[in-house]
Amino acid sequence: MQPLPPLAWSAPTTIDEVVAALAEGVPGEVRLHAGGTDLVPNLKRGVTSARRLIGLGRVAELQELVDGPADALGVGAAVTLDDLGRDPRVVARWPAVAEAARQVASPQLRRMATLGGNLCLDTRCRFYDQSAFWRGALGGCLKADGDACHVVPTGRKCVAACCADTPAPLIAAGAELELASVRGPRRVHVADFFAGDGARNHTLAPDELLVRVWLPAPAPGTRAGYQRLRRRGAIDFPLLTVAATVVVERDVVRAVTVVVGALGAVPRRLRGLDALAVGRPLDAAVRAAIAAAATRQCHPLDNLGDAAWRQAVVAPLVRRTLEALEPATAPDAASLR
Amino acid sequence: MTIGDRTPNPRAYDAVTGRTRFADDLTFPGMLHARLVRSPHAHARVVAIDAAAALALPGVHAVITAADLPTPFGVIPWTQDEHALAAKARFVGDPVACVAAVDEQTAIRAAALVDVTWEVLPHVLEPAAALAPEAPRVNELAKHGNVTKSVQLAFGDLDAALAGSDAVVAASYDFAGSTHAALEPHCAIGQWDPAGGLTVVSTTQVPHYLHRELARVLELAEDRVRVIQPPLGGGFGGKSEPFGHELCVGKLAMMTGRPVKLRLTREEVFYTHRGRHPMHLDVRLGATRDGRLTGCDLRVLIDGGAYASFGLVTTYYAGQLVTAPLRLSAFRLDTTRAYTNKPPCGPKRGHGSVQPRFAFEVTVDRLAEALDLDPIELRRRNCLEAGERTINEFLVRSTGFRDCLDRVERASDWKRKHRQLPFGRGVGVAGSFYISGTNYPIYPNEMPQSAVQLKVDRSGKVTVFSGACEMGQGVEAMLTAIVCEELGVAPGAVRVVTGDTDLTPVDLGGYSSRTTMMAGNACLRAARDLAARVAEVAGADWRTRPPVEAFRVAEARLGALGAVGSYDTPKDVHGAYRGGTIGASPAYSFTAHVAEVTVDVETGQVRVDRLWVAHDCGRALRPQIVEGQIEGSAYMGLGEALFEEQAFHPSGLHRGPSLLDYGLPTTLDTPDIVAMIVEGGDPEGPYGAKEAGEGPLHPSIPAIANAIHDAVGIRLDALPFSPARVLAALTPRPTGRS
Amino acid sequence: MRSSDGSLIEVHLTVNGDAVRRAVPPERTLAELLREDLLLTGCKQGCDQGDCGACTVLVDGRAQLACLTLVVAIDGATIETVEGLQQRGRLHPLQAAFVAHGAAQCGFCTPGMLLSAVALLRASPRASRDEIRAGLAGNLCRCTGYVKIIDAVEAVARGDDEEPAP
Ligand SMILES: Cc1cc2nc3c(=O)[nH]c(=O)nc-3n(C[C@H](O)[C@H](O)[C@H](O)COP(=O)(O)OP(=O)(O)OC[C@H]3O[C@@H](n4cnc5c(N)ncnc54)[C@H](O)[C@@H]3O)c2cc1C
Ligand code: SF4
Ligand code: FES
Ligand code: FES
Repeated sequence: MQPLPPLAWSAPTTIDEVVAALAEGVPGEVRLHAGGTDLVPNLKRGVTSARRLIGLGRVAELQELVDGPADALGVGAAVTLDDLGRDPRVVARWPAVAEAARQVASPQLRRMATLGGNLCLDTRCRFYDQSAFWRGALGGCLKADGDACHVVPTGRKCVAACCADTPAPLIAAGAELELASVRGPRRVHVADFFAGDGARNHTLAPDELLVRVWLPAPAPGTRAGYQRLRRRGAIDFPLLTVAATVVVERDVVRAVTVVVGALGAVPRRLRGLDALAVGRPLDAAVRAAIAAAATRQCHPLDNLGDAAWRQAVVAPLVRRTLEALEPATAPDAASLR
Repeated sequence: MTIGDRTPNPRAYDAVTGRTRFADDLTFPGMLHARLVRSPHAHARVVAIDAAAALALPGVHAVITAADLPTPFGVIPWTQDEHALAAKARFVGDPVACVAAVDEQTAIRAAALVDVTWEVLPHVLEPAAALAPEAPRVNELAKHGNVTKSVQLAFGDLDAALAGSDAVVAASYDFAGSTHAALEPHCAIGQWDPAGGLTVVSTTQVPHYLHRELARVLELAEDRVRVIQPPLGGGFGGKSEPFGHELCVGKLAMMTGRPVKLRLTREEVFYTHRGRHPMHLDVRLGATRDGRLTGCDLRVLIDGGAYASFGLVTTYYAGQLVTAPLRLSAFRLDTTRAYTNKPPCGPKRGHGSVQPRFAFEVTVDRLAEALDLDPIELRRRNCLEAGERTINEFLVRSTGFRDCLDRVERASDWKRKHRQLPFGRGVGVAGSFYISGTNYPIYPNEMPQSAVQLKVDRSGKVTVFSGACEMGQGVEAMLTAIVCEELGVAPGAVRVVTGDTDLTPVDLGGYSSRTTMMAGNACLRAARDLAARVAEVAGADWRTRPPVEAFRVAEARLGALGAVGSYDTPKDVHGAYRGGTIGASPAYSFTAHVAEVTVDVETGQVRVDRLWVAHDCGRALRPQIVEGQIEGSAYMGLGEALFEEQAFHPSGLHRGPSLLDYGLPTTLDTPDIVAMIVEGGDPEGPYGAKEAGEGPLHPSIPAIANAIHDAVGIRLDALPFSPARVLAALTPRPTGRS
Repeated sequence: MRSSDGSLIEVHLTVNGDAVRRAVPPERTLAELLREDLLLTGCKQGCDQGDCGACTVLVDGRAQLACLTLVVAIDGATIETVEGLQQRGRLHPLQAAFVAHGAAQCGFCTPGMLLSAVALLRASPRASRDEIRAGLAGNLCRCTGYVKIIDAVEAVARGDDEEPAP
């Protein structure tokens, strides 16, 4: 019905082979294929120039969850969201990440979709995620074959949204990414991985592979939560996501992080929350103050439609997330050795 | 299998094993694939088409344009305002050329190489603007400017009725357009045989009308055209008229001598559309203090899109079909359908009447509030009785509406819930009626609306030949049950052949909920005729023995065994005024819904917790299938109420032509639907049966709207009830019950 | 295994128990392979871009979308389609339940729905009604309102005696 363009394919078995293949390829033309649930629709819609795909399905290391130093957990980039959302370690210690994974798309898509693909998901915009015919009829846009933005007509930069579920809770959990290329490995905080350009919202070099996501052990007293808004109960991308991590010690807040996603290209980490919450109990007043701060700092755009409504629901969603936090339990005896 | 039992649908075995062969599952040796070239402009004249580059691509066999198919067509003979390929595009997505190539990939590439020179014209998207004198002319084949049809009718003295009312509610409503979104996209395959003529296999609900239009447009004698309709993956009205792509595969097959398949992408299905018309409705409804409805004044402006489709009928239905189940003493309607530069609207499940039903039932709820009456009680006080005529003179021979109200009231525990649930939760009620087929065919003729042939032989097998359209609604099960009931055979001994104009007698098609009434009656007559002849020679007690024994005796004594039956409608069931036949039906079904909802007052999200639906289908020949129709209808209404909308950019471009953007409800959005069957029997229906496939959709939308009002005190007069719209209506929060 | 120029790549699959060896271009989707090459047209295409679930098949026992699956990416996999659900001519209990409960109307969503249900009940044989709802959330049905589909799956999960149909 919607055939794919002619493609070339390779399926290396080691990380070294993958990065070598990436380095050989022409940037823009070569592309990693993990679950393919973003890449394949984009190829069908003609919004990507990728023509040589490197499959990650045979790289065993990318499919594993490994225990790391200081009780961190390393999640291979090609671990599926279905496996991630059920993994007992993740469920117990990073409940918000597990919850986000379970909220993605639909059961079938979660079995295909990977964590790496979710982090590298192309940004979304209702003027862009359409067929070539449709985009042609609209006249294209800054992100692809056009020179205007239909969301911010005066803007010079694409403001398509990061609509993946996992980035916000990963940022709130302080997760780090382990990247590899022929130039060697590097690590970057998820918070620093994203860049404010909807046309390309992450800082992965064209020849880089995302190898692992490192989840640091939650501090004692950590509570975490994730909520998102969607039109329907399943399938739909989020229209707004909220992740929160709060460390509570003897009934007072020691640290708080709230991240709001599906606004623009970068998940937004709320500023100035320490002054509102630290040293106080996480009571209704504090939750309301954080929600009010969120309203001031978050400005949904028309990239996903219904901007005014999404603005209005930022505060309730933040408040509800803070009301429904779950304990992120300390590692159990076994993993403490 | 007997009438009313729960023997499974014989078709289900094919469905669960994957053996059902839908149109796109068929391939033929040497088959080419076709693709349409569509307009990126909402309104533009084709100045020139240069197909040279496309034709030069290896594997391309033909490119056709408007000039190749110059005869206009359309399902209604009086409004044939469409061409298979347009010389002037009238909406974004209007096809202007068609390419046939060795495979789909090549066809797609070739279509992109077809170079169209456009003269872009000003476009108009809103019906009110389209009716302004300076508006661009959308369709030159329209008889009056941008008007498809305008209807003004009056019954009784409306002004006096309203003046004599103790309460009159006036309200305006905006019903958003929605589309069928059958899960199977349209697909057609043309085959040309110089000896036998043209065969078109297509996902059509109306093989007979397609047959006629293929013959006319392709200039073939009707006996040289065969239409085959494989089982449909859903229709809901979206496949119920001839389409340009069906004419294109016919033409291309004739030109190339090869089978040609054209399947629409999901995106193209949204452009092909023919779905629910957007309507702006103004209603005034009066009642006396004791809860007797008086007069109703209904004005409707209908957004038709670029072509007429069934619009002539829509324009009548939009007014004529609110006059039951509640009695009115005066009624005035003024409905107009305007052309706009958008994908054409047409019949979607509950054609033309779902929109005014929404407006009417919400207005009744307002009236109940104004009179401080329970809305179920208000409806009860106004029920039409069997044998009565509606104010616009439709004869209602049977009605189980009162029972429907009782059933939903009891099942939902209405009396303990209405106006009593905590803030944020509420219940709402609505009722409706619908036709069991149209009294008259689309084109005037004196022939029966449906005919059935039965063939029986010494094997004991009974074959039913019917032109009725199977699309999952259970035609084959219904016909099988009738044959089993009348001839005493087992369901396994019955073979139903449908959807092939060469093999089956004419049936007008799967639309307007006509099949059980018409094909059912035709089959019943054939079966009874056959049974009578068997009885004559095999003895009146032939049923006490295995039927095959009697068939052998009969075949020996009478020769080849067969029977025919046909059905046409009674002609004394409607008024004699102009238009009085449109909306007239041999029988009407009745439905009542209660919806229970929870409204999230902070986000505006509405959750439907449960739907109780009672439907009077006269007699349920296949109760399980009737329940399925009730559940599916209620589901489809819920989708329109909460999620779905055919929305357009100012440029005329569809806002999101995908199942992702459009948003059909998933399992998680759909509550358990409690389907209750009311069986009062109708004198005209086979065994008393009436329709069940469309009626039960109508009340779901107003019932949900009324439940939202009960929950949070807001009236939503525009669809869909999206969170944004609900939240906007909630701010500032009304001071109501808390 | 490598194709540098987009040439054909040989893949080995087990489809409904049969070994299948095919040389396919890398852009071939599993839906196309099943429907066009193997004529297993029980795999339906309702959207061809991941939005509807009609193309759901089992890949190594997991219900996935054939329209977004590249054949080259699942070399070596075991595929189950609706055509493979019957065992020795007998309906799978879920197939029988779909028939008995009237869960199929047009039948277009039915194969995908069945395979999602098969995967769901293999993973949690006693799934509750809510779990069934969640497990089928990626399969759209336009005809039924889901009621009878969920009833059918629930009946099998509860072990209600579904007479295997002939
Ligand atoms: C109908 C539908 C609904 C959806 N709903 C949601 C939703 O609700 N929430 C949501 O978050 N997503 C949703 N998605 C998008 C998608 O399914 C997920 O985001 C998924 O996690 C993407 O992962 P993947 O493995 O399939 O990515 P792929 O498609 O394989 O890859 C996506 C991108 O990431 C790159 N990439 C993948 N892995 C790596 C790596 N290891 N290193 C470097 N780059 C890499 C690829 O090159 C590609 O550019 C939906 C998709 C569809 C079709
Ligand atoms: S935000 Fe603007 S530039 Fe970016 S995809 Fe949307 S319309 Fe295009
Ligand atoms: S066809 Fe694969 S999800 Fe719709
Ligand atoms: S039975 Fe028709 S789509 Fe589900």
